[in-house]
Amino acid sequence: MSLLKLDCATIKFGGLVAVNSVSFALETGDLFGLIGPNGAGKTTCFNIITGIYAPTSGSIWFNGADITGTPVNKIAQLGICRTFQNIRLFKALTSLENVMVGSYLRHKSTLASALCHLPPAIRESQELREESMRLLTALELDEVADVRSADLSYGMQRRLEIARAMATQPKLLLLDEPAAGMNPQEKEQLNRMVRKIRDEHSMTVLLIEHDMRFVMSLCERILVLDHGEEIAQGPPADIKNDPKVIAAYLGEDHA
Amino acid sequence: MIFASRRALSICIAIALCVLLQAGIRSFSDYVHTLIMLAGLYVTLAVSLNLINGITGQFSIGHAAFYQVGAYTAGVLAAKVHPAVSQLIWYVPLAMILSAVAAAIAGFVVGLPSLRLKGDYLAIVTMGFGQIISIIARNQEALGKAYGISVNPKQQMIWLVWLLAVICIAVSRNLLKNVHGLTFLAVREDEVASSAMGVNVTRVKVTAFVLGSAFAGAAGALFAHGVGFVSPDAFAMDVSFIILTMVVLGGTGSITGSTIAAVLLFYIPEKMRDLTSMKVGMLLSIVIALVFVVAVVKRVLDHYHGTLLKKAGIIVGSILVGLAIISVLKKPLSSVPALGTIVEGSKMRMVVFAVTLVILMLLRPQGMFAQHEFSWRWLQSLLQRFKRKKVGVPA
Amino acid sequence: MDPRTLPQQIVNGVLLGTIYALIALGYTMVYGVLKLINFAHGEVFMLGAYGALFTSWMLGFGPEGTRTQSSPVVLLLMLLGAMTVCGLAAVIIERFGYRPLRNSPRIASLITAIGLSLLLQYGGQIFILNGSPQTIKAEANPYRGEIPISLRAGDKVALADAEKLQPGIEIARAAFVEQLKHEKSEFDLSPKGEAIKKVRDDLEQTYTDKVNKANEKAVNVLLPKGGLLMLGATLVIMACLWFLVKHTRKGRAMRAVSHDFQASSLMGVNVDSIVTFTFILGSVLAGAGAMMYATFLPGTKIDTFFGMAPGLKAFTAAVLGGIGNIPGAVLGGLLMGVAENLVVWAGYDNYRDAIAFVILIVVLLFRPGGILGSSKVEKV
Repeated sequence: MSLLKLDCATIKFGGLVAVNSVSFALETGDLFGLIGPNGAGKTTCFNIITGIYAPTSGSIWFNGADITGTPVNKIAQLGICRTFQNIRLFKALTSLENVMVGSYLRHKSTLASALCHLPPAIRESQELREESMRLLTALELDEVADVRSADLSYGMQRRLEIARAMATQPKLLLLDEPAAGMNPQEKEQLNRMVRKIRDEHSMTVLLIEHDMRFVMSLCERILVLDHGEEIAQGPPADIKNDPKVIAAYLGEDHA
Repeated sequence: MIFASRRALSICIAIALCVLLQAGIRSFSDYVHTLIMLAGLYVTLAVSLNLINGITGQFSIGHAAFYQVGAYTAGVLAAKVHPAVSQLIWYVPLAMILSAVAAAIAGFVVGLPSLRLKGDYLAIVTMGFGQIISIIARNQEALGKAYGISVNPKQQMIWLVWLLAVICIAVSRNLLKNVHGLTFLAVREDEVASSAMGVNVTRVKVTAFVLGSAFAGAAGALFAHGVGFVSPDAFAMDVSFIILTMVVLGGTGSITGSTIAAVLLFYIPEKMRDLTSMKVGMLLSIVIALVFVVAVVKRVLDHYHGTLLKKAGIIVGSILVGLAIISVLKKPLSSVPALGTIVEGSKMRMVVFAVTLVILMLLRPQGMFAQHEFSWRWLQSLLQRFKRKKVGVPA
Repeated sequence: MDPRTLPQQIVNGVLLGTIYALIALGYTMVYGVLKLINFAHGEVFMLGAYGALFTSWMLGFGPEGTRTQSSPVVLLLMLLGAMTVCGLAAVIIERFGYRPLRNSPRIASLITAIGLSLLLQYGGQIFILNGSPQTIKAEANPYRGEIPISLRAGDKVALADAEKLQPGIEIARAAFVEQLKHEKSEFDLSPKGEAIKKVRDDLEQTYTDKVNKANEKAVNVLLPKGGLLMLGATLVIMACLWFLVKHTRKGRAMRAVSHDFQASSLMGVNVDSIVTFTFILGSVLAGAGAMMYATFLPGTKIDTFFGMAPGLKAFTAAVLGGIGNIPGAVLGGLLMGVAENLVVWAGYDNYRDAIAFVILIVVLLFRPGGILGSSKVEKV
């Protein structure tokens, strides 16, 4: 059974078909890349998977259950979490607090006990705080734990988004252009981190990226989208030489 | 065990302080009693609105409506129950709780539209809701129409008023110390990202509205019993705006800010009521000076990159010039016959709120405390920052 | 809920609606370019009413004024007075209240708008006539009275039948007048006088009853002359606005700014001047509305809170039609006017102000884009 399966997912905005009958399946432990030129529908795919948009037709299956049309927060509960292309951190909160919001899904104490500041709530908050701190350390962000996230550097913000998503302890992690705006060293660091996340936390990773070298070196399988349609799927070596992919990226003449 | 005893101790201290407050002011006049009661109510109102506006980011400008629902619930209740019951010592606290429940239900009803609306639209809807409540109260026979209803027993429970304020502050603070509270802040910052992290945005928003309005409702009940009378005029739109000004001045999200701003903004305009009346000409000179000072300060804050000390110097200087402007202009302006009309101090109350709002937005939109809370750590970091700034100044 | 009064209420609603439409245009246009709800717009409307009031005073219709004859020129000057005041107010509010905050969060502008609105309401209490309510003298309006229009006539046969009583009534009246000459006073009649009086009264009563019965089914509508003028003027103003927005350079720039603020400034549009222009335009329309409201709707009392209720209703109208949408504002205004009068017609006078909010909440919840607008999907 696949972890995630898109079955002919289609979404239309007015007359525009943003994603047209896209199907693919992810197995547990996959490092899967989603690439394509700008406007190909990659982020829209993420939005469909995470429930921000409901597909016009087709269905999405996660862990053997149909999750089409499930509310965003329920999908996060099921174990899919994501980062955003245009960084959506909670700007006024510190790095640590951002990650703690991610760990909210695992809290057990009730709101009432929180409002009365009862021991279970205090203890749990303390635990989640320590746990979030460990996660920040793992992503080399522990030094900026008490800094407002809006004041972090771009690369740090991207990493903090990953940390926040990981705090929900998802089965499937969606990364939307995690390397955008990073310099080569940072990309190298990120490459290592994503592998570590997959190996140590046994998460499945689906990522969108424009940097071909980054994707080719990291992902084990890749899906190429163009104009909302799938044009190729397979291991990096095949994708590199696929004439359709070359045409989509470089124009027909180069194919 | 240690926890339980410490908690019991702090609760006892809070109650004792509130009771002491009431005992301490026994010798003062009724007027002072009412003032201290109202100040406590406004603290509750401001802190509870801060929960909705500041912490959860749902811009509500109809908070007086919940206050009104609470007050009228207490009023109707008092008219319904047997006089013997209402004389019992626990009657008012009980009425307070029931009123809080009624207001919470109202808060739930208003919280629902907040799920689909944001920012200015939500603001207008909350205001509209307030107006509808007010119009209903004005037209229902059972609610005394425009005259209102008298509430028995008339009993100023100042200790309870301030205890309510303390509880409201404590609850808000506890919330922020917990992961639950962080989700409220997260919803304020980014709804989409919050829900992607598994936060139930709907529940958070409605919870904020229900909690905030319950406290406002409880305050309403204490107001009703404290004054012995409720009428629609006591909950007009102005009251909503006054509470809003308090929250905005304090710094949206800061509980400390809301509390301090509530006391300040309640006290200063109340003092202005007793202020000797002044001529329009005098007022005009104050306005001119104020415009000058605000313009200068705005420029300094926006464009001038000197040291903190120099900035402060210019600001103080401009205030002095402002005072000079007043003293120079007040004589000639007051002697103009057209500007000779006398304005009563009480007329300027709402003007003070309005001016505060506008100037605040122009000069320091984040409010007095921005999002900071009072804590020893914060004070320390503030001092440190100041020291560092000083070191940075070339000798 | 008398169905016969329904047409009249609809007429009243449409007339009131034109005013709401004029104010709503201001909300909509400002929202279009700045995405800001100009909370102080209702107060601009209030200032416009004062502008018209003071102009009428200057023209001799003041408290001590003696003029009784008005002319169209007076109305035109009052209109200009109101528009000028509003235009000036708009420039000041925009320049000093909103422009410094253009890059701040939208909530900051909203709070400023609320603050300005309160400032004008309560500050006005101090600086404008001590806040005492004023009325524009009815004499300032040369077009008074109403034009009756019969939508459905009464029973003609029955009417003619009633008219046959007329000669008899005349005779009885004359006889009574004659008899009065022999009486001590009108209130102390002799038996003969009483008898004549009774005959006269009975005849008159029968006549009235018959006429009422004949007219039971008749439907009449009174068109106030001032109201018709108001309607005509509003239509002209709206036509001008339409031309300005659709067919002039300024209008094109306005539409560009409303689509994309930054892009238009990059394309060489002077955004600041367009925003100011839009503010002036919207406020001038509100001024026109205020002048007509205060002059043509008899008994209107002007005080510094005068703008609040119409302002809120007009805002509802703008949202109802689709905020940012000019035809929508007009449609919304008319619907609001009619809805309000329907509530009055249904016998809930006291709730006429509540209906605006009910409509507003329902619209925002179920069709936030309004009737003619479209709602946008947030980009993630």
